[in-house]
Amino acid sequence: MATAAGAQELLYQPGEDPRFNWQSYEDFAATHDLQGQSVTISGPWTAEDEVTFRRTFEYFEAATGARVDYAGSDSFEQQIVIDVNSGSPPDIAVFPQPGLARQLAGQGRLTPLADDTADWLRENYAAGDSWVKLVTFAGPDGQEAVYGFPYKIDVKSLVFYSPENFKALGYEIPRTMEALKALTERMADDGVTPWCIALGSGSATGWPATDWVEDLMLRTQPPEVYDQWVAHEIPFDDPRVVEAVNEFGWFAKTDRFVDGGAGGVGWIDHRDSPQGLFSIPPRCMMMHQASFIGSFFPTGTEFGADVDFFYMPPFETKDLGDPVLGAGTTFTIAHDTPVAEAFLEFLRTPIAHEIWMSQTGFLTPLTTANLDAYGDPTLRGMGEILVNATTFRFDASDLMPGAIGAGAFWTAMVDFVAGQSAEDATGTIEATWEALGR
Amino acid sequence: MTQILFALLTIVIGVGGCLAYFYLANMVLDRVLPPRRGRPENLRRSSRIRPWIFLAPAIVLLGVYLVYPLFASVWLSLSRDGEFTGLANYIWMVQDPKFRESLFNNVLWLIFVPTLSTLVGLVAAQLTDSIKWGTIAKSLIFMPMAISFVGAAVIWKFIYEFRAGDQTQIGLLNAVVTSLGGEPQAWLTLPIVNTFFLMIIMVWMQAGFAMVLLSAALRGIPDETIEAAILDGASPWKVFWRIQVPQIYGTIAVVWTTITIMVLKIFDIVFAITNGQWGTQVLANLMYDWSFRAGDFNRGATIAIVIMVAVLPIMIWNIRNAQKEED
Repeated sequence: MATAAGAQELLYQPGEDPRFNWQSYEDFAATHDLQGQSVTISGPWTAEDEVTFRRTFEYFEAATGARVDYAGSDSFEQQIVIDVNSGSPPDIAVFPQPGLARQLAGQGRLTPLADDTADWLRENYAAGDSWVKLVTFAGPDGQEAVYGFPYKIDVKSLVFYSPENFKALGYEIPRTMEALKALTERMADDGVTPWCIALGSGSATGWPATDWVEDLMLRTQPPEVYDQWVAHEIPFDDPRVVEAVNEFGWFAKTDRFVDGGAGGVGWIDHRDSPQGLFSIPPRCMMMHQASFIGSFFPTGTEFGADVDFFYMPPFETKDLGDPVLGAGTTFTIAHDTPVAEAFLEFLRTPIAHEIWMSQTGFLTPLTTANLDAYGDPTLRGMGEILVNATTFRFDASDLMPGAIGAGAFWTAMVDFVAGQSAEDATGTIEATWEALGR
Repeated sequence: MTQILFALLTIVIGVGGCLAYFYLANMVLDRVLPPRRGRPENLRRSSRIRPWIFLAPAIVLLGVYLVYPLFASVWLSLSRDGEFTGLANYIWMVQDPKFRESLFNNVLWLIFVPTLSTLVGLVAAQLTDSIKWGTIAKSLIFMPMAISFVGAAVIWKFIYEFRAGDQTQIGLLNAVVTSLGGEPQAWLTLPIVNTFFLMIIMVWMQAGFAMVLLSAALRGIPDETIEAAILDGASPWKVFWRIQVPQIYGTIAVVWTTITIMVLKIFDIVFAITNGQWGTQVLANLMYDWSFRAGDFNRGATIAIVIMVAVLPIMIWNIRNAQKEED
C-alpha cells in the first residue's frame, strides 16, 4: 500500500485537528521507511475494539508504508499458546493480562523489548514504576527484562453516583476514604441506602467483591504488600489481607449500608444492581464498579447528568498516594522483526494513543498524550484518574492462579458476605492455595 | 443460514455415511465369501464375521470416547504434570473441605431426589389412571422432561429470584411470601435449605419420567388380583400399597436406580443456579471447577473417578434389573 493511498482513508487527516500531536506522527514517519514490509499482530480484540484498533494502526501503515495483519480472537489465550508451540507465532502478541506473557517469557518464547523501554515507561507513563514492574519478566535464563508494553488500560477504582441525587440531598464528593465512610454513615442516618453492592454473576458469582478487596488492599497497605499478596509471598490470611477484607465487610455487611441488606449482596446480580442508582426513589447512592458497567445502565442514560463517577479515594491517614486498580493489555514481541520493533516504537508516540483516545474504550497513562483527545467526557474523567495515579496495580484476581483468582477467592467472598468471618474466609483461600500443585 | 446449511450437510453425511458403510461392508463381505452352492463353509464364516462388521463402528467409538478416557482419567488422577505421584491427589481430595461439602450434598441429593421423584411419580401414575382428565394431567407432569436441565434451572431461578427492599418481587416464591405479609428472602443463599430448593427442580423434572414407566407397569397388573383383593374387603389404600406396589417392584427399582444415576452426575442445575456457592457444591460441579476454571485436570480427574466409582455399582444393578424386567 502506498503512503499516499493509505493516507486518504485515515480517520483524521494528518495536521488537520489541533487536538492531536501531529508532530510526533511526522517525526515517526520521517525516520521509518518500511515500504512493502509487513507485521502480524494477534490479540484479544474483536468487534468494536478491533475496528478502533485498526483505525489506530492505519496511521502506522500510512507513516511507514508497512502492512499490518491483525487477527483478533475471543480465545486469544488458548490460541497464542498453540501458535507459539507450533512454531508459528505472530510477530506481535497482545496479552489481555500479563500472567500468560510472563509464563511464555520464562519459556523463552518472547523477545525482550528495546533496552530503554523501562526508562521510557518511567518517564512517560504516570506511576511509571508500577508499569515497569508489571511487564518485567524473567527470561528462560532467569535474567529479568522488560518484555511487555502496556497499552490500552481499564480503570477499576471508580465509584458511580447520581449527581442529581447528591445535589438534592446536599452530599459532596468525598476526597478521602475517611470522608467516604463518614458520607456512608450520614446517608444511612438520613434514611437513604448508601451502596449498591451486588456479587451475583451466574457461574462467576463473587468476583465483584475481589475488586473491592483489591482496591481496599491498595488503600490500607503499601503496593509492595499488594505484590507479595498477589505472588503468595505472604499467606492469604495474613492480618493485613484480613484487614482489607474487613474494610470491605464494613461496607457490604452492614444491613443499612447496602441495597437489599447484607443478605442481598451475595445474590443480586451485578448487572441489575446499577438500576438502583436510577430508580425513583433511588435505592442506593453509590456503586463501586469498573468502567464496563456503563453498558448496563438504562438506555438513554447521560453521563455527567444522570450518572457520574469519582475516584475511589485513599485514606488520608495512611499516606499511600493515589493508587489505581485496573487491568489492561500488554504488547509483546513473539517473533523479532524490524517492523515489529518499529511498531513498538510507534506505540510510544502520543499520536498512537490520541487516535484511539478519540474513539471508544481506550484509556492511557501516557502523560504526553493530550487529554483533550478523549472522545467523550467520561473517558476523559477516567483517563485523568489514570494520569494522576501515583501507583497502578493490576487486578490481583487476574494475576493469581485460576483456582484462587477465579475460584476460591470468589467463593470465600460470597461466604464472607453471607456471615463468615474474614479470618475464616481468607483461611479457606489460603488452604486451597497452599494445597495447589502439591 | 450457513449454520442451517451445515447442520443439514452434517445430517446427510452422517446418515448417508452410516448407510453407505453398512451397505458397502456387507457387499464386500458377500464378494469375498460368496454364499454359493457348494461352499457351505462360506455361509458359516460370513455369518460369524458379519456381526463384528456391524458392531465395529460402535466398538471403535466406545473405545475412543469411553474406554480411552477412562484410562486417561485414572492416569491423570495418579499423576501431576505427567509424573506419577501415587495417591497424592486423592489425599488432597479427602482433606479438601469443598470436596467433603460436595460429598455431603451429593448424599443429600441421592437420598431425597430418587425417593421423592419415584414417590411422586407413583402417586401421580395411580391417581391419573383413575380420573377422566388423567391424560391431560399426565402430559402436564411429563412435560418438564422435555426441558433441558439448564432451561429448567433458568425457569426455577426466576421462581426463587430475590429483589431488594420494597421493589416488586419478580420471584414467584417471594411474591407469595410478601403477599402473605412475610419478608422476602434470598432463598438460594440460605445454607442447607438451598440444596433442597435445587433438588425440587430435579424432582419436578424426573417425576414425569417415573410416572410414565410406573403407570405402564400398573396397567400390566392382572385385574384378577385387584378384584380378588377388593372382594376380600381391602381398602383402596391397602390395594395400592399391598397388592399393586409389590407387583411392580421391579419397575420401581429400575426407575429409582435410573434417577439415582442421573442424580450422581448432577451438574447443570447447580452450575446454572448457584455454581456451588452458599454451600451447594456437588461433585460434578467441583470437578468442572477444578478442570476448567482452575485448569488442574489432575484434580478434576480425581473427582471424576470418585463419581464414576459411585455410579458403577448402581449402574450394574440397574442393568440387571432392566434385564430381569425383560425376561
